[in-house]
Amino acid sequence: MTVVFNSTSQMMRQVIYALVVGISVAYAFFGWGVIVQILLAVVVAIVVEATFLKIRKHLIKPAIADGSAVLTAVLLAISIPSIAPWWIVVVGVSFAIIFGKQLYGGLGNNPFNPAMLGYAFLLISYPLPMTTWASEFVNFSQALDVIFNLNSNIVDALSGATRLDDVKTQLGLGKMMGELNPYSGAQAWVNAGFLLGGLYLLARRVIFWHIPSAFLLGMVVTAFLVSLGDGEYLPVQNHLMLGGTMLGAFFIATDPVSASTTPKGRLIYGFLIGMLIVIIRTFGGYPDGVAFAVLLMNIVVPLIDYYTQPKVFGK
Amino acid sequence: MASYTFKGGVHIPNLYLVKKPEVRQVAPPEQVVLPLQQRVGGKQKPCVKVGDKVLTGQVIAKTLGKYPTYMHASISGVVLAIEKHPIPHPSGIDGVCIVIDSDGRDKWIEIEKCDQDFLRCAPSKVIQRIREAGIVGMGGAGFPTHIKISNAQGAQTLIVNATECEPDIMCDDALMQHYPREIIRGVEVLMHGCGARKAIIAIENDKQEAFNSLLMYNFNEHIEIVQIPTKYTSGAEKILIKTLLDIEIPSGEFASDYGVLCQNVGTVKAIYDAVIDNKPLISRIVTVTGSAVKEPRNYEARLGTSFASVVAQSKPNNNLHQIRMGGMMMGVDVPSVQYSICKTTNCIFVNNATLKPSTQSCIRCGQCNEVCPVGLLPQQLFWYAKSENMDRAMDYNLRDCIECRCCDIVCPSHIPLAQYFSFAKALYYKQTKEKQKTDIARERFEFKEFRVERNKTERAEMMARKKEELKKKMAEDKTQKDKIAQAVARVKNKGVLRK
Repeated sequence: MTVVFNSTSQMMRQVIYALVVGISVAYAFFGWGVIVQILLAVVVAIVVEATFLKIRKHLIKPAIADGSAVLTAVLLAISIPSIAPWWIVVVGVSFAIIFGKQLYGGLGNNPFNPAMLGYAFLLISYPLPMTTWASEFVNFSQALDVIFNLNSNIVDALSGATRLDDVKTQLGLGKMMGELNPYSGAQAWVNAGFLLGGLYLLARRVIFWHIPSAFLLGMVVTAFLVSLGDGEYLPVQNHLMLGGTMLGAFFIATDPVSASTTPKGRLIYGFLIGMLIVIIRTFGGYPDGVAFAVLLMNIVVPLIDYYTQPKVFGK
Repeated sequence: MASYTFKGGVHIPNLYLVKKPEVRQVAPPEQVVLPLQQRVGGKQKPCVKVGDKVLTGQVIAKTLGKYPTYMHASISGVVLAIEKHPIPHPSGIDGVCIVIDSDGRDKWIEIEKCDQDFLRCAPSKVIQRIREAGIVGMGGAGFPTHIKISNAQGAQTLIVNATECEPDIMCDDALMQHYPREIIRGVEVLMHGCGARKAIIAIENDKQEAFNSLLMYNFNEHIEIVQIPTKYTSGAEKILIKTLLDIEIPSGEFASDYGVLCQNVGTVKAIYDAVIDNKPLISRIVTVTGSAVKEPRNYEARLGTSFASVVAQSKPNNNLHQIRMGGMMMGVDVPSVQYSICKTTNCIFVNNATLKPSTQSCIRCGQCNEVCPVGLLPQQLFWYAKSENMDRAMDYNLRDCIECRCCDIVCPSHIPLAQYFSFAKALYYKQTKEKQKTDIARERFEFKEFRVERNKTERAEMMARKKEELKKKMAEDKTQKDKIAQAVARVKNKGVLRK
């Protein structure tokens, strides 16, 4: 192979470019809220990062320029509902940057995926706004109204439950899988968008194939095993196209800082995340499990890395 | 079956490409500076004095011992000085050098032509010739060639390393295009010297001309010429052996243990000159290239010629330069062109001085472990080297790093990884040495404590014994005294009775 990247910032930029497809699809379905959340998150991330670098007496410009704070902000912003109030994104991004990254010593030293740490914090603390998704296209003024709470009545008019949450509730009510047909929803298209972006990252060698493929395989295998049991469970293909699956497989689990770094380790890491997601979705209390699965696996990364070292020449 | 390729490595394009590498002969210079310090094999002692007249090819220094290595005058003239000069070393240290001023005649020492076929010479004779010609590994390592051949006696296979895997160096390429006959003949000499029945010449597949010219002159069915992919580190000895023979030499063992002898193609040519023409090693081909020279080219120059005089012929620009000796990967930066060409100088890079891009944090992206030809995890090693956690670094096989810098150049954060590893290795050896020292000191101390204690008890026992003896004696003495007293009393009584 040849030299691929001239700088870390270049890698980060590639990831952000790769997100554009998925974001565009999300915009097409959920409207301006998506864009507003991203812009807000980016501004907050830069301000918080700069402040903390100043406190830690580090150079501000090169650290901002590496693009990692912006990437964290974008990932978190597209993970939360597009009509969530403004303070959700402010609190989440601040938490991600401060507790997820800066307190550990900045980029490269964080054991957890900062965006997912922020997401998990928000989901645990504010479950209601975190599971209230837009149910129709939201135009620009509506988006500002709902996000900045300018018109309090509008939220109910625009919102619905998370698709996966919905499925879970409906299944709980005894409806048959066939009646629900969650596959045709907006989320499937958004997932397809992120899948496309992920393939771009693979082609550009920003990420390696191990984690995404093991991740998806882990989901398929586990979802299949679960579906063998009694009762109505989400079919395998729906697991793949709903919730944060593709975003998680190609953009979240592949965050190199917090992921396993050996080739074999990446396979184990990805597979177990996929498995945990299906288990959390099926048996857990939350509709989606990407954030929790990734964070749980982050903890075991040093262990995986140590025991999956590649064979060294002459040993 | 050999794969003819290997895992890892980097393809680095040649930046300053020359279509057909020519070799320009550099006239014997006015003055040569020849360092006495050898890379391996100890320091040489001069056997000439200041003011002595010397001829080209005359021995001017040698090491002590039964099998000395020699250095020869590369021009004829007068020994001007034996003094300290800067030698090409990254630390910029000075070393003792012999300076010879030319008499302009380049008069050679009388060479007795070797009239007998080398095949009739005993291998030991061949090795002796190689030793007396002062040949060292010319790929850059500078290990004395005669030692390497002696260690590999009875080898099955001779591998001639003609990969020249470092980008932009083209001295071996030119050598093969200009001296194919000599190289093939040199391989035969070497096969005879080490007893190998088979030889493989390995060339990277971007040197088609060199491959063709060797092929044209090869009529020996035991010599195979093989093209391997153009990928940096293909020329690292153990990796080359794995590529060609599919033998993976275990960490800590040598090629000679597995019946393989590896020699650089430049060394083979020098061996030809030494054994067939009986000429010592006094010149070599050097590539001058880099962003600051207008005409990158090869030069055949006498050893001891200054960098400056060959660089000048490649038309450098007037900018501030960054000089590097050896390849862009494994070479060393030197502060100026005030150095002289030595046996291992294969390339001189003259680059425009630029600022290195600033280092960013390691994000463990894994580009480095993709290219590591040894299969290490540089991203993990970096973490432990930085925190000086040596035990962990050793768990991650720091010791096996060959410092090829593949990881360095693919690192998007521009971390000088190999430098960290080289430092960590040095630190580890220092720590182990210190630990050994403290272990010895502790043992000594503990023994001293033990000895003091032992002496104390021994002394106490002795005292007790003595006391006992004294008591006994005293007791005996007492009975004696009693007897005397009794006798005295008896005498007295007698006197009393007499009165």
